[in-house]
Amino acid sequence: MRWLFSFLILALVSVVRGVSTKGNRLLVVLEDSSEKDSYSRFWDDLGERGFELSFESPKNDGLSLFQHGERAYDHIILFPAKSKGLGPSLTAQNLLKFLNLDGNILLALSSKAPTPSALTSLLLELDIHLPPERSNLVVDHFNHDVLSASEKHDVVLLPRPDALRQDVRNFFGGDSKDEEVIAFPRGVGHTLGNTSPLLAPVLRAPRTAYAYNPKDEADVVEEPFAVGQQLNLVSTLQARNSARFTVLGAVEMLSNDWFDAKVKRSPGERGAAKGVKALKTSNRAFAKEISAWTFAELGVLKVGRIEHYLTNGGTNSTSREVNPTIYRVKNDVTFSIEISEHQLTHYAPYTPPATDSLQLEVTMLSPFHRLPLTPSTAKSPNSTVFTASFTLPDQHGIFAFRVNYKRPFLTNVDEKRTVTVRHFAHDEWPRSWAITGGWVWIAGVWGTVVGWVVFVGVWMYNAPRGGAPRAKKVQ
Amino acid sequence: MADSAVGPFLQGTTGRNTRGLLRLVILCTIAAAAVASRLFSVIRFESIIHEFDPWFNFRATKYLVQHGFYSFWDWFDDRTWHPLGRVTGGTLYPGLMVTSGVIYKVLRLLSMPVDIRNICVLLAPAFSGLTALATYLLTSELSPSPSAGLLAAAFMGITPGYISRSVAGSYDNEAIAIFLLVFTFYLWIKALKLGSAFWGALTALFYFYMVSAWGGYVFITNLIPLHAFVLIAMGRYSPRLYVSYTTWYALGTLASMQIPFVGFLPISTSEHMSPLGVFGLLQIVAFVEFIRQQVPSKQFQTLLQSLIVAIFLASVGILILLTVAGVIAPWSGRFYSLWDTGYAKIHIPIIASVSEHQPTAWPAFFFDLNFLIWLFPAGVYLCFRTLKDEHVFVVIYSILASYFAGVMVRLMLTLTPVVCVAAALALSHILDTYLLIDSPSAEAYLNDGTRADSASSSTVSAPQKKPSSSAASDSLRSTRDPLVGIYSSMSKLSIAGAISTYLLLFVLHCTWVTSNAYSSPSVVLASRLPDGSQHIIDDYREAYQWLRQNTPNDAKIMSWWDYGYQIGGMADRATLVDNNTWNNTHIATVGKAMSSREEVSYPILRQHDVDYVLVVFGGVLGYSGDDINKFLWMVRIAEGVWPDEVKERDFFTARGEYRVDDEATPTMRNSLMYKMSYYNYNSLFPPGQARDRVRNSKLPAEGPRLNTLEEAFTSENWIIRIYKVKDLDNVGRDHASAMSFEKGSKKKESTSKRRAAKALRVE
Repeated sequence: MRWLFSFLILALVSVVRGVSTKGNRLLVVLEDSSEKDSYSRFWDDLGERGFELSFESPKNDGLSLFQHGERAYDHIILFPAKSKGLGPSLTAQNLLKFLNLDGNILLALSSKAPTPSALTSLLLELDIHLPPERSNLVVDHFNHDVLSASEKHDVVLLPRPDALRQDVRNFFGGDSKDEEVIAFPRGVGHTLGNTSPLLAPVLRAPRTAYAYNPKDEADVVEEPFAVGQQLNLVSTLQARNSARFTVLGAVEMLSNDWFDAKVKRSPGERGAAKGVKALKTSNRAFAKEISAWTFAELGVLKVGRIEHYLTNGGTNSTSREVNPTIYRVKNDVTFSIEISEHQLTHYAPYTPPATDSLQLEVTMLSPFHRLPLTPSTAKSPNSTVFTASFTLPDQHGIFAFRVNYKRPFLTNVDEKRTVTVRHFAHDEWPRSWAITGGWVWIAGVWGTVVGWVVFVGVWMYNAPRGGAPRAKKVQ
Repeated sequence: MADSAVGPFLQGTTGRNTRGLLRLVILCTIAAAAVASRLFSVIRFESIIHEFDPWFNFRATKYLVQHGFYSFWDWFDDRTWHPLGRVTGGTLYPGLMVTSGVIYKVLRLLSMPVDIRNICVLLAPAFSGLTALATYLLTSELSPSPSAGLLAAAFMGITPGYISRSVAGSYDNEAIAIFLLVFTFYLWIKALKLGSAFWGALTALFYFYMVSAWGGYVFITNLIPLHAFVLIAMGRYSPRLYVSYTTWYALGTLASMQIPFVGFLPISTSEHMSPLGVFGLLQIVAFVEFIRQQVPSKQFQTLLQSLIVAIFLASVGILILLTVAGVIAPWSGRFYSLWDTGYAKIHIPIIASVSEHQPTAWPAFFFDLNFLIWLFPAGVYLCFRTLKDEHVFVVIYSILASYFAGVMVRLMLTLTPVVCVAAALALSHILDTYLLIDSPSAEAYLNDGTRADSASSSTVSAPQKKPSSSAASDSLRSTRDPLVGIYSSMSKLSIAGAISTYLLLFVLHCTWVTSNAYSSPSVVLASRLPDGSQHIIDDYREAYQWLRQNTPNDAKIMSWWDYGYQIGGMADRATLVDNNTWNNTHIATVGKAMSSREEVSYPILRQHDVDYVLVVFGGVLGYSGDDINKFLWMVRIAEGVWPDEVKERDFFTARGEYRVDDEATPTMRNSLMYKMSYYNYNSLFPPGQARDRVRNSKLPAEGPRLNTLEEAFTSENWIIRIYKVKDLDNVGRDHASAMSFEKGSKKKESTSKRRAAKALRVE
């Protein structure tokens, strides 16, 4: 709870300073404290955004990710370490537990240092595959920086990434005003498994890039680890509990030197990019975006109030019953959900991309309705209210109103409200006289009743005289 | 009974009063004995609701008392049959709950705040006292001898066949339904005897009560028309029959349609067509009788009679046509299984899986009825000797009920009243003959044929009173020469002694059976320790209490349907299926989840929002009523719906054995039920020594592994095991690999060998 208080206090004290929605305790695992200074601009940027950085060496035995069964930190940055193991507190199991407890991890790799086995097996669990050889390098003979790596071609230059799909928000595209370039110096690539829907690549290698083992003495690379677009440089995984995990292939991307180094692109395929001017890299902006996303400052959706009520149950919110547990079949119901999006420093109304929409499922075993939720016109300063009105199906049972909105780079929204839909009660059917088809039968009933009464009357007042002897005869 | 030896106050008005008082005292004693003999379970255990169905009735009663009648009427229960829910108010027989509710309110009104649970527990014994009275009334209508009624009441009070369903705590529909059954029959016979619309209306009223209380009302619905039909066919049509039957049918049917569960069934299903047909037939017969009185022409009568037959045949034809066309529902599966005992096993396994729907084993008749079962035919024979209208009823009733009791164990209950009545008729006849102290004189009898010597020929009534003359020749041979009496006091003594012995043995047997077989609540098990003291095994309640205290209020529990009512009643948690087996597919879904591999079951569990799975396992104690023994029924029921996915054959070894040990089939060992039952079971034993005490077999050395479920609770004697369904893995792995990662085994990178086969990722 402490982080929550600190978050509240911070939010009150400094409105300008952005802060993560999940707390600001950031652990930086750095083996060599001398390296710390070469990334000072990155630390400063993080510090400015409100993070409290604590630097620890993986060799420190006192380091623990958890305290009293809770997370001791909110976020972790893992820098490449020289040693093969990462120590007892940074095992794959512990890191996975950290993710399961809703902590975020930014993992930086480097081709200079082999990846520790703890991290390899963790990545394997997440369906992210590193090259089997201990050393690996991404090179591109067409898209490298001629200023720093004209010989080795291992500083890959990439444009800002496009959106993953048409309907997915792009958090890493920059402002796309002028041509921006990201430098990826001496990094390790990885591939992503094909089945996990939780993985989303951020930076994929250019078509001409490939990864190979520099220790291999052969002149020609026989079987590169991966080539082209299959080779991922920066990838993310958002767990089901919305904990975020980012793999950054090259740690040097974050270094002071590369934050705004001058680079010049190689001529490219068939000399397409011949004669390009030297540019400054936008690594700094990219580093900010990727860390902001990983540490839950970007792409965080917050669900506010969820309401459902009878559409004609009352005009204003005070007179109608909100969120009843029971409805009747064929009731007209309105459902509304309030969603806001965290944009670095504050919550703003969420607007889905034009090609995407929020949907409401009315479901029992399988959806009976799947309806688009429309944003209401009434504006609120930091949230959008999506609503849908519908008629409940003619089927009683235990239904769920479910909003299942899971998109890459956005917090998973899976909200479920269970309601009981009952059958008609005995007094909710139309009365017999209201059904015109029943009039014949009603007339019949009353005809019989009246006829019987009349018959009894006639019978009683027309007793035959001297009935007694005749009655005897009959018997 | 003008016996001079017995004393002055058995004669005249005083005598009648004394005997009346004595009869009343005896009846009250019988009722008290009936109640007392049903209290074993309360004394031995506690005041607790028994078994399965009573728990639902109890829960429904609590709902009724708490929310009032109208919300009970419209009750939609969202705690059972998740996520379908159950329109409970419209799918139950409310008679039982309303009865207890009324008693509860009346006691409140009298400032006697009795807990509703105690009312429910003691309702069945209380009503069994009333049943004894009703049996007395019914038998008294059949026999002029007062001892027959008293004997019948005594038999009915303590016979195990009825006690089995009416001990204290057995809060089931049958608890009040048997009283209503007997009382309705009594009223029907009364109405038929008197030809009174008043008694007919009373019959209809109690018929309505019966309809509201038990599905077995169909028995009355068919028995009374059959009686009427047989009477017509015997040429015994009378205005009395017409008045009583039409009154009963018109009022009773209209009344029964007021029960939502019954609704329009009385005019739309085959089971209810016979009263309608007989009603129509009676109208025609009555019309013909009327015409016959007016027109004495012989030819015309023949014509009319053929007309009756023609109309009858035509209406049967129309009935068949309507059934084929689907306007009238054909016989239900339960009904078919009454005619063909193998039918249910093939077509409706869910009905066959209930033990009380199995055919009755022969010893059960003696077990439940003791010496009544061999007095029963004698009683029926006596009914033939005095074949009045009401005796025809007893004959029909006994034939039908004997058949049904042979088909289904449960229907022993409907047989019991008629057995008691018939046996009492026979026994009272014997006693009336043999217990006279003074010898009758044959001369006096022959000379004075009209003297009502009730001792010897009480049941040989009016028609045979003047037999010696002309009418004797054309009646049954046995009735031709009248009984006169027993002269030897030796035979009197020996018969009286034998009968007393039988009666005493009967009482002993009833007490023994009640105490040993029928007084166990089955929620609580009792066992004997080596030193003879009683040891209570209370696993069920322990587990249900655990559920109640440790799971969220809206947790959904999946178990086999047998335990649905108990979970709802004791643990107050939502269940997927319960003992109200209205949806076969839903039960089959649970069966499929239990009998499939984890990978198949898990999506089913997820789809149904299951939080916990409960299984019953008797391997530790040797408790044979556990889920592994019921497992084949789950498989069969699931196979009925998904014949391609679940196959019963796969659960048997090649030699056709059902095994759980090393030789169990892979399907069996991978089924969820097997895994849940034997998970961690090895840890109780030294390595390789695990034994199942129910199946009496040695278990595989390595126990099953569970990936998608985790053990949440296991009761003291391992009878109940509860598993929690895991959520999806947080980082998107399947459960098996997540489990092996937690265990520490490393995932193998498979790329080095088969690089070419690697699938490319496409966004």
